[in-house]
Amino acid sequence: MDEKKLKSVSRMKEEIAIFEPVLAALRADPGEMGHLQAYLIENLLDNHRRIISCVEEGTPFLASQYTNPVEILTAMDVPWYFHVQQQFAAGGTGGSVHTEEDLEEMDRLGIPSDCCTLLRLLLYYQAAGLLPIPAAYLALTEPCDGVAGLHAAFMNHPDWRDVPVFCPDPPYHDDPRAYGYYAGELKRMVEFITRHTGKALDMDRLKEVVAETNRGYELWFEYAYLRRAVPTPHSYVMPMSCFYILNTGGAGDPRHTQWYRGMVANAEARIRQTRPEVPHQKVRLLWYDIQPLFFGELVPWLEQEWGAVICMDMVSYCPYELIDTSSEDAMFLGLAKRALNHSPMIHQARGLAANAIEDITRIVRDYRIDCVVFPGHMGHKDMAATTSLAREACRELGVPFRYIGMDICDKRYTSVEEIKEKVSRFFAVMKPGELAREAWPSVRVPGDVSHRLPA
Amino acid sequence: MQTTARPAALRVFSDACQTMVNPEVRHWKGQGGRVVGYFCSAMPVEMVTAAGLLPFRARAAGSAGTELSDACFGSINCSFPRHALDLALRGEYDFLDGLVLFNSCDHIRRLYDHWIRRLGTPFVRILSLPRKDEPAQVEWFRGELSLLREQMQEHFRVGMTDDRLREAIALHNASRRRQRDLYQRRKGIRPPVTGAEMLAVTVAGTALPPQRYHQLLDGLLMDLDQSGAHSGRRARLMVAGGELDNPEYLEVIESQGGLVVTDALCFGSRLMWRDVDQAIDDPLTALARYYVADRPPCARMYTRYGERLEYIQSMVREFAVDGVVFVRLAFCELWGFEQYSLTADLRRLGIPLLCLDREYSQTNAGQVRTRVQAFLEELGDRHG
Repeated sequence: MDEKKLKSVSRMKEEIAIFEPVLAALRADPGEMGHLQAYLIENLLDNHRRIISCVEEGTPFLASQYTNPVEILTAMDVPWYFHVQQQFAAGGTGGSVHTEEDLEEMDRLGIPSDCCTLLRLLLYYQAAGLLPIPAAYLALTEPCDGVAGLHAAFMNHPDWRDVPVFCPDPPYHDDPRAYGYYAGELKRMVEFITRHTGKALDMDRLKEVVAETNRGYELWFEYAYLRRAVPTPHSYVMPMSCFYILNTGGAGDPRHTQWYRGMVANAEARIRQTRPEVPHQKVRLLWYDIQPLFFGELVPWLEQEWGAVICMDMVSYCPYELIDTSSEDAMFLGLAKRALNHSPMIHQARGLAANAIEDITRIVRDYRIDCVVFPGHMGHKDMAATTSLAREACRELGVPFRYIGMDICDKRYTSVEEIKEKVSRFFAVMKPGELAREAWPSVRVPGDVSHRLPA
Repeated sequence: MQTTARPAALRVFSDACQTMVNPEVRHWKGQGGRVVGYFCSAMPVEMVTAAGLLPFRARAAGSAGTELSDACFGSINCSFPRHALDLALRGEYDFLDGLVLFNSCDHIRRLYDHWIRRLGTPFVRILSLPRKDEPAQVEWFRGELSLLREQMQEHFRVGMTDDRLREAIALHNASRRRQRDLYQRRKGIRPPVTGAEMLAVTVAGTALPPQRYHQLLDGLLMDLDQSGAHSGRRARLMVAGGELDNPEYLEVIESQGGLVVTDALCFGSRLMWRDVDQAIDDPLTALARYYVADRPPCARMYTRYGERLEYIQSMVREFAVDGVVFVRLAFCELWGFEQYSLTADLRRLGIPLLCLDREYSQTNAGQVRTRVQAFLEELGDRHG
């Protein structure tokens, strides 16, 4: 492998080296849920290895987004990587050893500092040669301006300028005409992938993959429903952080379904045994917008200091529907709808503000939420202008609401300590969840979950 | 530097820029005419004209503050929709009988969400504008326009036949040609209008009744034949970016001795550099193709950065531009990432570039003057 290629996978290799000992420790002493955690890590590392192998062997792979139906890529057997993943690692729990240096280098690129840091960092990784160059690139123009602007800039880099690119164009509306249009875009995406990788789409295989993701989604409804229990069965960290990993890690893998099954079983057991993972829960939180995982110790702090448990968050709550696999057209229509309506962030930010407001309203009611924290990422300009509507909705629901501006990748913007201080002041003043919740209502777990789909 | 009195039409255009409800709009309303506002240059104004209504591009001229709208937006939102909503909440947009928005950008699409909740404009629609320019996108947008036609016909109880659409396309194309004629005259050593004056001309075109505007343009072109010209400037500048509807901003730039001779702006050349293709039989298809694919693209059209760069390059060549001033509204990510690409590419091409961030209401004139002055000095040094 030449130096350039070696460098392009160097961060992936580093992640493998960092996580392998963690994986070994989890395997040695899995405890009650360690096997589930271990699977997430295995999945991440397997994907890294697959891409590294493609780079080494010169076989085609793609760069893509989690919102370009993973089912199609899996069915076409095309390896791909989510090229924004590194930033999640950089901003994630504890950050990466490179975070500080990366941010400083990113600042030197001269992109206006009010543009999304997550996306500016991506341009830095690209400029630094830290992204493997794919055979073709599936871009994205939603849910925000930053993403659309980024991809235009991204395609202009000398090393990437000749990489063929396809970007499905998401419509703004949510109606049958819009879904039909987007289904057409996805079909054109398949043609593009075939043209640049030589891989064709086998409809029977797509049907299998979609059927498997349907099973996973069905279990996800079940799990989301179980989190309505008071107290909620699990902490936030593990279950609610998995969505991206499971989806970017490749759809249609029966092990993913098994993972969901494991989560449901564990939650059910905890509810039956009155044994919540977070004891002494006092505040039921809805954490809307970016996930708290980007702020390291924030979740444990919330749970231990305040007995505040995040029952639901924006990323985990989408109006999932199962896909009709009876025909090719039905599947593409379902995949289009899933991509537009069910993908985290796309569902909330692509369309009207009503999408977010309706979610918040339903979650507050269904999950018996005591207060809403809206951690607005500095790149989420649409969300910033949605906040006032969310606040009004919460006022009507009688639920305290707190907006905290932050940066998903750059703690210089708002530090964890500042967030803690703001949350503490908010809790101290608003006193959410003062009513003691000693009752442990029984939660019915019927086989048919369709009636639990959000309206 | 300016030799004779300025043509009377320029005063009309300038007045139309400085106020929201200019005398022509007031007269239109006084005659029982109805006005449909819109928030993006992607609006097929021909449809509004064909319906016998007045198309009026929403701005926030004269807005002095945002006290009323601040509660609706966050601190990281653009000042343009903030000012526009503030004016609307003060009743300044009550003269609108309808409003059409697009998912133009994150800030404008949320402006729609607030507008429909807080204001009583009788007809408000948001259209889905593609970000690509391929046949499927043209077809999609044609569908959007078709629905809009139905809705407008029903709401306003007007006819919008294909023939009327063709007439409106012809009228707007004729005005575009005259606007381009003005630009052509700026290619010479002694341009007849300043950049600020030209911006007033194009902005006024979005705020005056189209027939009246067309007549005024004719008059202006004739007057300019006898009028003086601008010369003796230190440098010929091009202004590039997105939303900029305030000629005073260009006056500040030009006050330092430069002359803006062309632009790539949403209120400038992008509005009219090409015509709607009148050879296409179906007028809605012609409009969809024009607004999605044919006209010069803005930063929101993500696959077309190369075209935008080429557009700037050709402007620089044709208008003998010494340097480009890139102007961006703070918090605009679309133009923010564009700035990153342009900075690298214009440097590679040897085209001097000055990047300015601005707020919608012009509050940083001193800073702009200082930076433009330094830029002009740099350009002077290059020329030896």
